[in-house]
Amino acid sequence: MEIFLQACVNGLLIGGFYSLMGMGQNIIFGVMKIINFCHGEMLMIGMYLTFVFNSYFGLDPYLSIPLVVVIMFALGALIQHTLITPSLGTKSFTNLLFLTVGLGMLFQNLALVIFSPNYRTITTSYSSKTLSFGPVTMSLPKMISFIGLIIVTVALFWFLKYTPTGKKIRAVSQNPIGAEVVGINTKRIYIITYGLGCALAGIAGALLTLFYMVYPMVGASFSFKALIVVVVGGFGSIQGAFFAGIFLGLLETLSSLIVGPTYRDLTVFVTFIVILVVRQVIKLRRR
Amino acid sequence: MLNVSGLCSGYGNVQIIWDASFSVNDGEVVAILGSNGAGKTTLVRTITGMIRPWKGSVVFDGDELAGKSSRAILDHKIVQVPEGRQLFTEMSVYENLEMGAYSKETKAKLAESLEFVYKWFPKLKERRGQAAGTLSGGEQQMVAVGRALIGLPKLLILDEPSLGLAPNIVDDILSVAHSMAKEQGISVILVEQDITKALRMADRGYVVENGKITLEGTSEELEKNEHVKKAYLGI
Repeated sequence: MEIFLQACVNGLLIGGFYSLMGMGQNIIFGVMKIINFCHGEMLMIGMYLTFVFNSYFGLDPYLSIPLVVVIMFALGALIQHTLITPSLGTKSFTNLLFLTVGLGMLFQNLALVIFSPNYRTITTSYSSKTLSFGPVTMSLPKMISFIGLIIVTVALFWFLKYTPTGKKIRAVSQNPIGAEVVGINTKRIYIITYGLGCALAGIAGALLTLFYMVYPMVGASFSFKALIVVVVGGFGSIQGAFFAGIFLGLLETLSSLIVGPTYRDLTVFVTFIVILVVRQVIKLRRR
Repeated sequence: MLNVSGLCSGYGNVQIIWDASFSVNDGEVVAILGSNGAGKTTLVRTITGMIRPWKGSVVFDGDELAGKSSRAILDHKIVQVPEGRQLFTEMSVYENLEMGAYSKETKAKLAESLEFVYKWFPKLKERRGQAAGTLSGGEQQMVAVGRALIGLPKLLILDEPSLGLAPNIVDDILSVAHSMAKEQGISVILVEQDITKALRMADRGYVVENGKITLEGTSEELEKNEHVKKAYLGI
């Protein structure tokens, strides 16, 4: 029972990361109908930024988050303005596929050149502190990251629901023609959206750095997980991505507890294939 | 107030609108009539800046609008109710209406304009918290008209408001448009396939065929026109 609870807590934590990645991916998909294949690399850049701020400037990983957000937003906005918006004009899915996959490779290799392929970690005075809640023990960094994930998720929902810019993002996502009719500057919303998506991945990276190794390929598995979250949660659905991410995290930790780590990925993928098939069957029946 | 002359436009390199000229006066309801595929919606999109015109001019209250962005044209208070309504289906009715306030002025007057819209469409007040996509077609059309009215139009362009709606609801929507023109002094362009209904509401009309304006006249003149009778009214 204790192990089970512990696994649930860990599952929620890792699921929170998948959610954040999936939601960022889905905001971008909703607005521009493109899949951002370099989303995991944005997380990787966020991790390296946090690592650099900590090892060269002595900045606490959690205090570096505002800086990471600003840099990642600016990077995303720049990529959107100079590369993605012009490619959207070609209306070619292949162009955008190559563009975002290519950017991912570029960032991976840049990280390889700058930081070498070595695994890096950062330690702080509180890295090894733990907190106990009854039977569940959690390291302090994981606890802080968990709270951070909750804050960011709530803030994101609030932003999309109540702020004028958030409403415009939803408007463009739901009906681009309607958005133009009411005078929304679509290109500006594209820039904000992509910047926001990258910033969210950057935050996920910063929150991850204290208990996860940093290396140039670290984004790949998160890119992949974010894609699963988007497919299962529904393309363009923010709430869907949130729940799918949490579910994926729980499923991973619980299946490695129950069927063992060897069959973890098998269980996860079989479950999701079953979900997709069942959902499709329900959809067809309703017609 | 609106003077369109020699307007040409199209998509890619396919020309759809050929040398269109027409005008709308203050407080006038002008119908633009034509069958499916005649180029009516393309004409609307060209005037509202969603497509760049290839040639010709669009003068509104003395300002040349041809070639300006859709946002700039909206700032001149030319507001459209687009074909197919184009609502934000997962947003509430209230949020959809709110999105119609695009400028400082319209945002400042939002509360007042909302009251005005709710007065004309009391149903929308009842349903303001409901997602727009869950409404009936007629109610959705009301939201689309309401959203345009929140933008405080000087010129209101209704693109096929009757599409897919029951006849009595079409009458309601059209009579609201008519009242806007006659009581509020808003000029209205009514783009329609349903020629009988459109001519009943409009002061004047233009007939569009294959992207060209082929006929114009007052509603009475068009109703009596032999070609219109044969081609559109089935008489």
